[in-house]
Amino acid sequence: MAAAIPTIAEAARQIAAKELSPVELTKACLDRVHKLDNELHAFIHLTEERALAEARAAEALIMARGPSGPLHGIPIGLKDIVDTKGIPTTCQSKLLQDNVPDADATCATRLANAGTVLIGKLTTHEFADGGPSFDLPWPPARNPWNTEHFTAGSSSGTGAAVASGMILCGIGTDTGGSIRGPAALCGIAGLKPTYGLVSRAGVAPAAFSLDHIGPMAWTAEDCAIMLQALAGHDPKDPASADRPIPDYRAALGGGIKGARIGVIHHFHETDNKVGHDTQRGISAAIETLRGLGAEIREVQLSPLQDWHACGTLISITERAAAYEEWSTTRLHDFGERMRSRMMLSAFVSGVDYVQAVRRRRELRAELKAAMADLDLVVTAVQPNEAPKIDAVPRWDTFQPPGFMMPFNVAGYPAMSVCAGFAANGLPVAVQLVGKPFQETTVLRIADAFEKATPFRDKRPPIV
Amino acid sequence: MPSRITDEAFEFLIARAGLSLSDAEKAELKDVCDGIAAMAARVRQPRGRMAEPALTYGFAEEDL
Repeated sequence: MAAAIPTIAEAARQIAAKELSPVELTKACLDRVHKLDNELHAFIHLTEERALAEARAAEALIMARGPSGPLHGIPIGLKDIVDTKGIPTTCQSKLLQDNVPDADATCATRLANAGTVLIGKLTTHEFADGGPSFDLPWPPARNPWNTEHFTAGSSSGTGAAVASGMILCGIGTDTGGSIRGPAALCGIAGLKPTYGLVSRAGVAPAAFSLDHIGPMAWTAEDCAIMLQALAGHDPKDPASADRPIPDYRAALGGGIKGARIGVIHHFHETDNKVGHDTQRGISAAIETLRGLGAEIREVQLSPLQDWHACGTLISITERAAAYEEWSTTRLHDFGERMRSRMMLSAFVSGVDYVQAVRRRRELRAELKAAMADLDLVVTAVQPNEAPKIDAVPRWDTFQPPGFMMPFNVAGYPAMSVCAGFAANGLPVAVQLVGKPFQETTVLRIADAFEKATPFRDKRPPIV
Repeated sequence: MPSRITDEAFEFLIARAGLSLSDAEKAELKDVCDGIAAMAARVRQPRGRMAEPALTYGFAEEDL
């Protein structure tokens, strides 16, 4: 029942009022895991005893002194490329199936310090790439809206677990859309922050200069709560930004009247034309934003294919460098999809890589100029609702270009929010993109949109 | 459409990357590798020798 799954904001309010026990909340999440995860495969590793111990400790502290913040006693999950001290961290790969890190990733530490309760480690595509794969030690996650369908990835388990209420929020990572893609297909909210805002330290790399860590939750408000705990300088990440962190949740509310929003129509209407239901969701979202007082304009950028080529060449090359030792000695211990990606690196020369990085500078400059007098741009997240899980092309690198990679190339903050449901009942989504370090704007507009639409009232039927 | 890469060049690139592939994997890869060449062509723009890559950087305070 949808009403039985609170958002973080609702749960935090009830916990502070002593109307909700973190232990009971954790048990409810674990009950859903036991009921649903045989079908959804969202978890690789459950930390049930630890979760209950953490929930009891949180409850004792809250009863004595009140909650330390809105995440105190909140059940979460971590994508299994996030290092966790003493807990297996496999990257969903045979290569690391016995790996137990001796330290936590910074994002894991920060969420633990905020008082969260770790339910377990979540399914991913192998090393956050490729997928869905059926030849790995663990099965791929399935979409809770229809288990015959794909979750997208690579933060596949996080998408499935949040949508089905097995956790209230989780960590995703995003190199070319791996937060926003599963958020879209699973009908939740997912924010890829500005590059450098959230530390990558202790998270397995997919492509160093494109990797982002970020929140996935049911609502934009919950993403704001989570981002507050995650954001901030970390000397262990050489790309970490050292700048003041605003109050993300305080930025919500107050309306969006006068917000200047650009729509990149050609991305989703010409460069890679989206399906009917997705287009309907995007058009309705734009009208909703207009109705809330936003000023809507047209934006023109280089073709999506240019952004895709730039990001793909960088991604293939940086991944191959990170995993070169294994690709030359244990190539066939990777699953077929990850192996395919690794093989492609043989055809990218050093000069190709540098030309891609030079193109990156030009594309970033272009986006900066296009957004000079805008607060936000809008486009699609996915071309359609979720495909069948057995119908995802193996060489998807060469499929029509995706809508998310441009904002990994640029490093700009980008968010997927649910924009309704297709005729088959599966979610569709819209992507909201802000200027660097303007997550407050992205979250404020996303929150206003969610509150003006009914899509947060409906959970997957399986729940 | 047949791949534009010659067998010799293909074998050289695979060997240089240190990849040990089966014949089936090579055949499949040869079918798709032109896609990478198309992407590489797309990022080449008439930009002249002075255009900097995105990863050039200045020294931050912590580097000094």
